[in-house]
Amino acid sequence: MQSEIELYRPQNLAEALTLLADYGPDGTPLAGGTNIVVELRDGHHNCKSLVDLSHLMELRGINQQNGYIVIGGGTTITELIDHPLIGAHAGILREAARLFANPLVRNRATVAGNLVDASPAADTAPPLLALNAEVQLMSQAATRWIRLEDFITGVRKTLLQPGELMFAIRLPVPSDRSAGAYNKVGLRKADAISVLSAAVMIELDDAGLCKQTGIALGAVAPKPFRAYEAEALLFGKVLGPELITEAARLAAEASRPIDDIRGTAAYRKRVVAVTVRRLLTKAVEVLK
Amino acid sequence: MKYQVKPLPQVNLPELRTVGKPLRKVDAMGKAVGDTVYAGDYSMPRMLHGKVFRSKQSSARITRLDVSKARALPGVACVITGFDVPNARLVSDMPGQTGQKQRAGSDVPVLASEQVRFYGEPIALVAAETLEIADKALSLIEIDYEPLPGVYDPLEAMKPGAPVVTPPDNIVARWKIRKGSMESGFEQADLIVENTFRIPYQEHAYLEPEAGVAWIDERGAITIRVSTQVIEHFRTIARAVGVRQNKIHIQGTMVGGGFGGKEDITIEIYLALLAKHTARPVKMVYTREESFLAHAKRHPYVIKHRTGVKNNGQITASKIEMISDSGAYPYLSPYVLLYTTVMAPGPYRIDNVQVDAISVATNNPYTSAFRGFGGPQACFAYEQQMDDIARQLGLDPLDVRKVNYLRTGDCTATGQVIESATWLEETATRAMAALGEQTPDYGSVKIGQGFASYFQSYGRITWMHDTSQAWVGLELDGTVTIRAGVPDLGAGQANSLCQIAAEVLGVPLERVTIYTTDSALTPLSGTSTATRQLYMSGNATLMAATNVRNVLLNRASKHFEEEIEALDIADGKAFNKSDPSQTLDLVDLAKMCASEGMHLSNLALFKAPFTDPINPETGQGQVWPDFTFGSFAAEVAVDTETGEVTILKAAACHDIGRAINRAAAEGQIIGGGMQGLGYGLMENLIVKEGVIKTPSLSEYLIPTSMDYPNIQAIILESGTGLGPFGAKGIGEPALTPAAPAVASAIANALGVSIPEIPITPEKVLAALDLP
Repeated sequence: MQSEIELYRPQNLAEALTLLADYGPDGTPLAGGTNIVVELRDGHHNCKSLVDLSHLMELRGINQQNGYIVIGGGTTITELIDHPLIGAHAGILREAARLFANPLVRNRATVAGNLVDASPAADTAPPLLALNAEVQLMSQAATRWIRLEDFITGVRKTLLQPGELMFAIRLPVPSDRSAGAYNKVGLRKADAISVLSAAVMIELDDAGLCKQTGIALGAVAPKPFRAYEAEALLFGKVLGPELITEAARLAAEASRPIDDIRGTAAYRKRVVAVTVRRLLTKAVEVLK
Repeated sequence: MKYQVKPLPQVNLPELRTVGKPLRKVDAMGKAVGDTVYAGDYSMPRMLHGKVFRSKQSSARITRLDVSKARALPGVACVITGFDVPNARLVSDMPGQTGQKQRAGSDVPVLASEQVRFYGEPIALVAAETLEIADKALSLIEIDYEPLPGVYDPLEAMKPGAPVVTPPDNIVARWKIRKGSMESGFEQADLIVENTFRIPYQEHAYLEPEAGVAWIDERGAITIRVSTQVIEHFRTIARAVGVRQNKIHIQGTMVGGGFGGKEDITIEIYLALLAKHTARPVKMVYTREESFLAHAKRHPYVIKHRTGVKNNGQITASKIEMISDSGAYPYLSPYVLLYTTVMAPGPYRIDNVQVDAISVATNNPYTSAFRGFGGPQACFAYEQQMDDIARQLGLDPLDVRKVNYLRTGDCTATGQVIESATWLEETATRAMAALGEQTPDYGSVKIGQGFASYFQSYGRITWMHDTSQAWVGLELDGTVTIRAGVPDLGAGQANSLCQIAAEVLGVPLERVTIYTTDSALTPLSGTSTATRQLYMSGNATLMAATNVRNVLLNRASKHFEEEIEALDIADGKAFNKSDPSQTLDLVDLAKMCASEGMHLSNLALFKAPFTDPINPETGQGQVWPDFTFGSFAAEVAVDTETGEVTILKAAACHDIGRAINRAAAEGQIIGGGMQGLGYGLMENLIVKEGVIKTPSLSEYLIPTSMDYPNIQAIILESGTGLGPFGAKGIGEPALTPAAPAVASAIANALGVSIPEIPITPEKVLAALDLP
């Protein structure tokens, strides 16, 4: 049962930051509400005041600046799907957005909301991790950039401080010699929470050797994470089938999944290896 | 193409004007534009809001129940516990199986007061001025439990010393079939095939959770406007509430999906009690989560088949054992078990059959009716068994079935002679042909095709002496009114009656209006269950409309000075068949009849065949009026590395006797097929120690429109059914063969079969891992 809460609807960003500063730990930023409202109804959220950001245009939009794609925190998942910059430079994020929940939820849910919620299964996290994304946290007093992989610290835990909101997310524009691939394994083809998800990015140098990689996994550990051991194995090498298989095995080894209603830990580990292998193979194919 | 399509026998069905046409259903526009008023949409002045307080234990004694704080909360109109209504029990009685004479405690207490037997069992009712106050009152109810040992596995529950859910023991029902001789049957066999199959729960997951409003009307009757499949529950409610039967008035609404989940009494009993105790209108609408907790599920079964076969596939003996989990209370378990028992051998001609079936009480969620009513569980097992027989004999799955398929004139395992068409090979070959060429394997993805055939009853058990009534009248402006107590579940129950009346009385469909689902004001038509409404109420409507037509033709015959046989009615006019320019408008004809005191309406009663109960020792005797036959085929792609299954193509072919509304029949075939595919592949109600771990639609997944391809619906019309114009039933049969068909396709792709649904990716990998 839900207790009484206060809902504020600030006129602009400055007012939102003032409200968040005034309420401190008692104030929770509200974007699409697709997590918070459900939790409130179930009595799982104990906030006293909500500060509604969903109508603030300052938080919306996607553009290219100084070698980065910058995504406003309040950008909806639907907007990710439709935006040409995402299609051109962050295909794996677009793919994750396409498989995110259902159209009704995608129309309301925001990128910042998905990241701040910090579910182990957050759909936008693996592609953004693979793309080396950073997040911009803003309070009345200051603004700071943090690497996404540092921002999420555990199950539903982040570095977001009272008084802060996530203003933007940015990712360096990948080079022309890079390619990515994404897959979400769910128990149905739409509106499903991940059993596991994986995103990979690879960049080759002119000699065809691996210059840079990003292998990120979701729903197989307390937080979405980068499989660095697997990435290190690939660095500076030709990405052949055996190497890819070994990297995929390392990625599976790095995952620490649990048994839950969607699948067992053993299944997840096994399918991480399959999925990462396939995604790396697919990305290499694209660059051939 | 894998199989030669079997030609159909010559059938000469008369061309009809309205029946058989894919006309827009009479209820379609209201739903499309949002005008349809569902049970949860109603409210009344001075209305209270009702809530149910439920058990948080699966098996426990209630040592203290204190509702005083809840009662004292301002805005609370009443709190009712089992101590306030000690006689409020829902009677569950199948002669010889349940009922107080047979098993003390068969009945379900409306509110538990001493002991709870399942998680979610109702303990108290609250009515308050607002929903918020009602919720607050629930949180103020104080309860202490003393946990009792529970039993959560039917096999465990049958063992000596197991905790007894309700005395005398945990055996809720037993059925058996004895036909021929096991000994000689197995002696004739060249091969004996044995398998054990496990079939899970299924949640109805209708769009519309249980909802209703009740009040006491000016004549003192408790009136309940509710979403239900059975308005005849007014009798049981009257007994439980302690009033006379004619003081309970049920006004059924358009139902937003029932699938058997609104066949048992749901919230109407709580509404009746709260309205009686407060003398004010009370509304109750379940949340999705409460709906999951509150209503029955499909029965899980363990089914063992031991089959003797000749080398050509002919079955010489079939020995089947089945155990179903009834949950904490019997509800319809004995009936469902009977269905599974009688359908257990499948649509096959077998001389030697032995079936032993038991339904067992546990402290799990209770189980009862669900579309198919025990048939889908039987079908999964017998069709997987047929596939395994084919595999072991090295024969094609169709060839094994062809040798055994029931033919018209054959007997079922209980000795019932089948008189209608049994188009099994006809449907199987058409469903498979519709899949076309098999997609080639690619990479680690293996492709397979498979099919399943089935038989499924329509109409209720014949020893229940089922009847239905319908009233049809012609108005003076040439329009037609039907009154029938039929609940419309969205499947087109009401529309079919309209098309039948329009056909018989020769008016366009839009001139027919139907009034349904009122226990006091419409003639009782019986339940919208058991695939019976088209058969039963369709025939009642046909009778009533024909009687009115005869009055009209009699009068028209005088007018035209022609024999009745020379006349017909169509497009709102009576006319001379040999000279169609001679017409008499129905308006004028109706006026003539009225002014001469002729009866322009008729109330008809249709009776199904009445039989005696089957022999309890042998199971021999007639059980249902007739059966629907058909087949379902699927092509699947199985990812052998992740275990994921994708259905690439699906087709269903059923002989439905005669389509009354072709579009509605296709809707049933596709919808039922999807529900069956979900059952086979996805739907997974996880229950631990009696607690549902997937209690919402984000955890218990049902298929979305993205998951499965369109099901090609192939309708065959043998015209041999017992329904109006030769129709059979399709509501339940549509679901039955889908899960086994997809299981067959997966086995075909992998070369190993998985004897347990839902076939999740993990089960696929486990099967592939087997040495």
